Formats: sequence, C-alpha cells, structure tokens
Amino acid sequence: MALTRRELLIGIPLLGLASCSSNTGGGLTRATAPQELGSSIAAGKPTVLVAMPDTKQTREVWTGLKDELSGHFSLFAVKVGGEGGGDTLAAAIAAHRPACIVLMNNPTVFAYARYQATTRLASYPPAIVVMTSFLDRRPAAISDAIGISYEVPLITVVTNLRRLMSSPVERVGVIRRMPLHSFVERQATLARREQIGVVEQAVSLEPNAAELKYALRELKQRCDAIWVLNDDRLLSERLIAEGWLPGLNERPYKPAIVGAASLVSAGQPFGTFAVLPDHTALGVQTANRVFDLADAGFRLSDDDEVDLPLSTTTTVDLAQVRERFALRRDALEQVDHIVE
Amino acid sequence: MSLPPRTRLTAQALAVLAAGELLARRAEARSGKLLVFLHVALKQRALESELQAALPGLEVRAVGRLGDFERGLAEGQDAVLSLPAVLSAHGLVARLQGTRGLATEEKYSLVGAGTAPDPARVTAVGALDLLGREGTNAFVYDLLASKPKVERVTKFEDLLPLIQMQKVEGILLPTRLVPDVQAASRLALSQRELTKLVKLPALASVGAAGPDVLGAVAHLPVKVSHTLGVDEWR
Repeated sequence: MALTRRELLIGIPLLGLASCSSNTGGGLTRATAPQELGSSIAAGKPTVLVAMPDTKQTREVWTGLKDELSGHFSLFAVKVGGEGGGDTLAAAIAAHRPACIVLMNNPTVFAYARYQATTRLASYPPAIVVMTSFLDRRPAAISDAIGISYEVPLITVVTNLRRLMSSPVERVGVIRRMPLHSFVERQATLARREQIGVVEQAVSLEPNAAELKYALRELKQRCDAIWVLNDDRLLSERLIAEGWLPGLNERPYKPAIVGAASLVSAGQPFGTFAVLPDHTALGVQTANRVFDLADAGFRLSDDDEVDLPLSTTTTVDLAQVRERFALRRDALEQVDHIVE
Repeated sequence: MSLPPRTRLTAQALAVLAAGELLARRAEARSGKLLVFLHVALKQRALESELQAALPGLEVRAVGRLGDFERGLAEGQDAVLSLPAVLSAHGLVARLQGTRGLATEEKYSLVGAGTAPDPARVTAVGALDLLGREGTNAFVYDLLASKPKVERVTKFEDLLPLIQMQKVEGILLPTRLVPDVQAASRLALSQRELTKLVKLPALASVGAAGPDVLGAVAHLPVKVSHTLGVDEWR
C-alpha cells in the first residue's frame, strides 16, 4: 500500500521536519500579502520563484540556490504558509511570472496544488519540490513537477557509517510500518550495490511501545546497526520514551542511525549517529536542476525524475560511542558535528 | 646571590615590558587571517581545526563552497590558500607554491564503477565545484579534452554518491585522493589517469599581514602539508 495523498502532504516527520513546518503556522493562520524573504535581480534573465517557510534550514537552501543562480536568473523568495498559501503563491506568480518555481516543504506543495486546482491552466512552469517527506517519485498532486527527495538514501547512510565504525557493518535493521514497505524496498535495492543487507521488521499501522520494543529486540539479534526511519507514527513522544529508548539502551548494543539531529542527544542516548541532508548543498543541487531545466527550455521530459540528496552532514553522540562502540582511528575527521 | 632591590625592580619591569611586547606581537600575529578553499579527504571542520592547531598565531577559516569562499574573501583576509586555478579566477597571484616530489603540478584521475571510463567518450562526469558552473565546466573539459555533462558537488565525500546512484559514469579527482574513495566503497572502482596536470595548492597574499601568514604556512608541519596534498612550500 502506498502513502495516501493526505499522508504524503501532511505526514511531516515529527522531528526531521518539525522546524520546517512549525513556522508555517501549522495551517491554521491565514497568510496575508506575499512576503518577500529575499531577491536577486538579473535584468533580462528568466525568473525563478522560491516558495518557502522561513526557517533556518530553508534559509540555508536559499543561500545555496542564490549563490549558484544569482546573475543567471532573477530570484524571488516568498514566504508561503498557512491556509492562504495558495493565494500568496498566486499573487507572487502573477507578480513575477516565473519560468520555474522551487517549492520547499509539504505545506508549500499543498498550497501550490490548491493554486493549480483553482487556476486549471493548460500548463504551468516547471516546479522543483524539495524538503518534503518520502518523495521518491514525481509528485502526483501537482503537474509539471520534479524534485529532490529529503530522506538520505540508506546507501549513503551506511557508507558514512562504515567510514566511522571499526566493526563491520554488513546488515542494517529497520522497523517499518506497511505504508513504508516500498520505500524501504527501493532503498534496499540501491544499498545492495554496496553489499549492504537490509533486515526489515514489520510492525502494525499503530504500534504500541511493547510491539516496538519486541521488534527492536528481534532486529538487534540479526543486524549490525539500526536505521530509524523518519516515520512520525513511530517517533511519537510515547513510543520514543517507552519503546525506542528502553529497547536501544539494553544489550546487545547496536548503533542507531537517525534522520533528525534532535534525536542525537548527550543526555538521552537514542541516535548514535544522525545523517541529515546538507541544506546549503541541497540548494546547490536544486540550482543544478534549474540550470538543467533552463537548458531544456523550461520543459520537463519523461526522463526527468526525482533525485536523491547527494550531500549530507553527520552528527555523532560521542559519549554513547565511547561507552558502547569502537570508532576507526580517524573517524572524527569524517564527522561534521560532535555531541558530548 | 640576590639582586639589589632597585636592580630587581628594573629587572621585573623589563620582564613585564618584554612580556607585554611578546603579547602585543602575538596579538599582532593573531590578526593574520587565512582563508582556505580546498577539497581534501576530511571534513572542513577537521581540516580547519588541524590547520588552526598548526598555525596558532593565525585565524584560520576553511570552507568547501565557492559561495562561502567568495563571501570570506569579501569580508577581508590576509592570505588565501587554494588551487592556483581558483586564485587566478579571482584575480589573485600565487606567492607561495606547494610542491610534491619537487613538482608543482599533480595528476588527476577519472574513476568509475567497473571498467575505467574513457575520457573521450564519457557523457556525464562528477567534479568538485571549484569555479562555479561555467568555470568548473571549462576546467573539466580542459582536463578530459571532451565536453561531458558536469555534475558539480561541494564536498569530496559527495563524489562517491554520484557513482553509487549512477548519476555519472565517472568522477574526476586528484589521483592522490583515489585511495580514499576506494576505501569508502565496495564498488569495483577503476581509474584512468589523465595526461593533463593541475597545479598544486598555493597561497596568495591579500592583506597587510599576508607575508606573515605565508611565512607561517611555509613552515607547516609536513603531516599537515600532506593533508593538503603538498610536501613543501616555496
């Protein structure tokens, strides 16, 4: 079973995207006039409109985009969020007549979908979707869109982990609900190129702490590391406190790789490592897609697909590692952030 | 033998003055700012900390993105360490050149999964972003003597994912860094060394304390210079 449209658009991972979604008002506050967050004018050049919430992460993506595209395109970053997001976006599109639109995060994509549903034009400028959860195919809710998925591929996660751990990492265990089965399968297929085995442990759609803890115990017997998906249903406060934490903090210890920096904490050992998208580099990668689209006359072809994020940052809970695992000699040279 | 009180006082005063002068000199040296824009096999955080430890009198900043380099340059520096191709693209002149085995240039390789990619036939290549889109494209075209699509990345470790995800047929990098890529992957990676050479890292003086910074870098410990791909500086 695939994710439903509603799940895709509003099922923002609790922690991984929390800061992206929090400033959008949670869809409750009505947006007023378009709010420009930044711009860079290049006279006579095509315009790229960037629709985004105003967060630290989206500003980093904007920085990467602007560094790359300034001088080649006119750029306008507009704050879009809340129920009036569609109107805000419509006003910005009318004002700037973009050749291309960049949409950051799920509510912004939702706003653009409403804009398209309202206007029903024959065609739209191509859109590039970034920072949305579990985007691994061209977005179905909006036309003329491609994107870059936000989940760091397992192959990248394990390549990074192998650079750090002195013990071999051959099999990675993952707890997943049925809606994420096909996502995990695709990740496992890609990971096989690097001889990474994936051990799946299925849980119910609404697992309780006991079920999660049992799944974790089973998995820890059969794998070298645990890959924690950014599935908000599995990362509720209660499941973290009563399932993940007791399960991970009992023997045999296995390193847990998470997709949210907030899950790596010196005070409460959960994630051993966090491997996250590098947001500024994500902006550069998005800019490269804009250049590709410009080369193609701002027309999407059937070959245009969703890309995987190329660049990541790694955070390590050094206290947990020192207590339970052994690192390679130069491992810390391969880490961006150290928590201790 | 103890000194007379007046002499002791003078000696103490001189010691204080000397210490003051030493502190002032150190403070002066601290004002020397070095901006580093190089891609190496460790994170920028680790590179910066290694350089900072080896150059305690300087303020060292290591960046991996061209945009950060240009911002850092605009903020004002005393010296810049990068590839000569980057320096000249910004109108800077290399005053201190890195050498390895007496050579001032090094070889680059094209690395791919399976058979080694043919530079003349490769259609998509991954490369580190040194000079922006046009500049990096020109850099790659010149090295390969062909014009493939160039996928730019901002960090050394981002080259491998391009091959893992089959975005490119080959990645372009200094030959000295190929073992680091091979060590990180279980793919059967093959390399083709290119004939054209690329100049090793060099320093340009861009501020008042530039000569002091160059002097300090010229005496970097060999281990640190090796991290930068260099044996000596001249």
